[in-house]
Amino acid sequence: MLKSNLYQEEQFPSPLRQTWYEFRKSHLAFIGLCILASITLIVILGPFVTPYSPLTQNTDALLVPPAWDGNGGISHVLGTDGLGRDVLTRVIHGSRVTFGISVFLVLVAMLIGVLIGAFAGMNTGMRSSILNHLLDSMMAIPTLLIAIIIVAILGPGLVNSMWAITLALIPQFIHYTRDFVRTEVNKEYVIAARLDGASPARIFVFSLLPNMVEMLVVQGTLALSIAILDISALGFLNLGVQSPYAELGAMLSEGLDIAYIAPWSIAAPGAAIFIAIISINVVGDGLRSALRNRLKY
Amino acid sequence: MSFYFLRRLNLLVFTLFMLAMASFGLAYLFPGDYLTNLTGIHFESEQQRQLYATLYKESDGVFWQFIAYLDLLWQGEWGQSFSSNQPLYQEVTTYLPASIELSAYALFVSLVVGIPLGFLAGLRHNKLADYSILSMSFIGYSIPVFWLALILILILSLQMGWFPISGRISLLYYIPLDTGFILIDIIRSDVSYKWDAFNDALRHLFLPTLSISIVTSTIILRITRRSVIEVMGSEYIKAATARGLNRYQVILRHGIRNTIIPIMPQLALQFTTLLTNAMIVESIFSWPGIGNWLIQAIYQGDYPSIRSGMLAVSSLVVIFTVSIDIVHKIIDPQRLYRQRVKI
Repeated sequence: MLKSNLYQEEQFPSPLRQTWYEFRKSHLAFIGLCILASITLIVILGPFVTPYSPLTQNTDALLVPPAWDGNGGISHVLGTDGLGRDVLTRVIHGSRVTFGISVFLVLVAMLIGVLIGAFAGMNTGMRSSILNHLLDSMMAIPTLLIAIIIVAILGPGLVNSMWAITLALIPQFIHYTRDFVRTEVNKEYVIAARLDGASPARIFVFSLLPNMVEMLVVQGTLALSIAILDISALGFLNLGVQSPYAELGAMLSEGLDIAYIAPWSIAAPGAAIFIAIISINVVGDGLRSALRNRLKY
Repeated sequence: MSFYFLRRLNLLVFTLFMLAMASFGLAYLFPGDYLTNLTGIHFESEQQRQLYATLYKESDGVFWQFIAYLDLLWQGEWGQSFSSNQPLYQEVTTYLPASIELSAYALFVSLVVGIPLGFLAGLRHNKLADYSILSMSFIGYSIPVFWLALILILILSLQMGWFPISGRISLLYYIPLDTGFILIDIIRSDVSYKWDAFNDALRHLFLPTLSISIVTSTIILRITRRSVIEVMGSEYIKAATARGLNRYQVILRHGIRNTIIPIMPQLALQFTTLLTNAMIVESIFSWPGIGNWLIQAIYQGDYPSIRSGMLAVSSLVVIFTVSIDIVHKIIDPQRLYRQRVKI
């Protein structure tokens, strides 16, 4: 029997949907997305479920091993630390601090970076030349080094380390936005908008920004993994969150003293950082290759 | 070409000038007397302070103060540390080589491991080898370096007892300080226990180098892989195959050179990432490097040390970056600007 309709699909899938189809093809990326979603869920809901407080010390249960150990019990699934605080509770609260702050910092850095980058990309001449010179040298310095230097100036502490990491993350967003704007600004659709009399701000918001979203998402995932690493590294070096507050990096450095008798006190927070970063990287990579493959067809 | 060099040199001088200015500004921003922050001396008498005030031209206004500061920097008069009272120039030049040494070995190991694996993955793109190497690389790429170092210490040092936990060399061996690079110092020294000391230094180097290079080699692997995939899909490779060269000839004659040259600056730039990771790892392994020293200075509020340490590390990074750019331009003059990393 002949098909009456030559085209199987009712409508052509939108770019977003195409990306999703490509993304779904990679099992690794999909698993990463599931893990990332469950981490988000745990971080949001966890504190309402955990029976302990992350700061309450319990001298009756010092250094209890994890549940699977012979001496451990189900009341402390991941054991307790040297002050009798439940490790699982602290990891959940710590993830909340580490990941929550990282997401916030990346969004702030993205906003500022895109604004400055758009300014640099759409301007030519002296102003943009000076900015580019500065940026080229800033890009070469690793974010953590900038963060350590800024913390050195401002002094240790959570808020100071947040400033430091935001400032350190901004240059790369400026750089990518500027490069993107540079290549796009001479294309026909932008020229058409300009001939219609659109102001630079309007061109940026209505013509360039919609095309930039994908690039920003990919860069955002990269920046997120850098932010998590940096904030926990600063916490680990006692330059970020100060004890007793739960933060994954700070927990690691606290567990350092009892690492030999209680390895779980450094294994749990480290594993939380590791799982979060690996799932973010896998999702980011899957997204990147999905976008790359989508353009092939 | 010469315009390019001038541009780069201009960038170098401009950035170093900005860094010097920032470090001068820090002396004002830090709490306490600015002259104390610059010299590192807690003045005991007004007379002593007056002596340094004339040296740093305190009465002449900020601009001349800055010029005097630059002049003193150039002469190696960086002031002294609050905590050790040693001249900072001397401190930085003893600690910086230790960090550079660690980073250089780690970079070497990462290149030796990363590039061949990257080639393997890139040449077998979308096959089993590619997928397995890529999946493994995710692990190395995402693992926090401080956690990795702790695990390595727990397993290889405490459980197995194979490697020492901290320091550069066992206290049993005395090595006269010469270049600051421990392996070179040992070879140049004329002590009777030369080879024992060398062996011991290598064992001390093993764990820090391993923990840094696991992270970096995966980044290098991914950069190489992406470049190989791009080159192997290009027209001239197809042309070479069409000419009748077999696969190995194609890769040897056309593949390797065209893959390595464009990514060379990025590979070299991993040195800066390495240096940061080295700073963290140093503080875990008590490696007497600039990172450990700088972090101790931050804890103790040792402002002169923070100022000069920051200046030394960031100048090193900037000088390194610019020289890589220039070397790359000489090797490959057609390339205009440094390309972004693709991984």
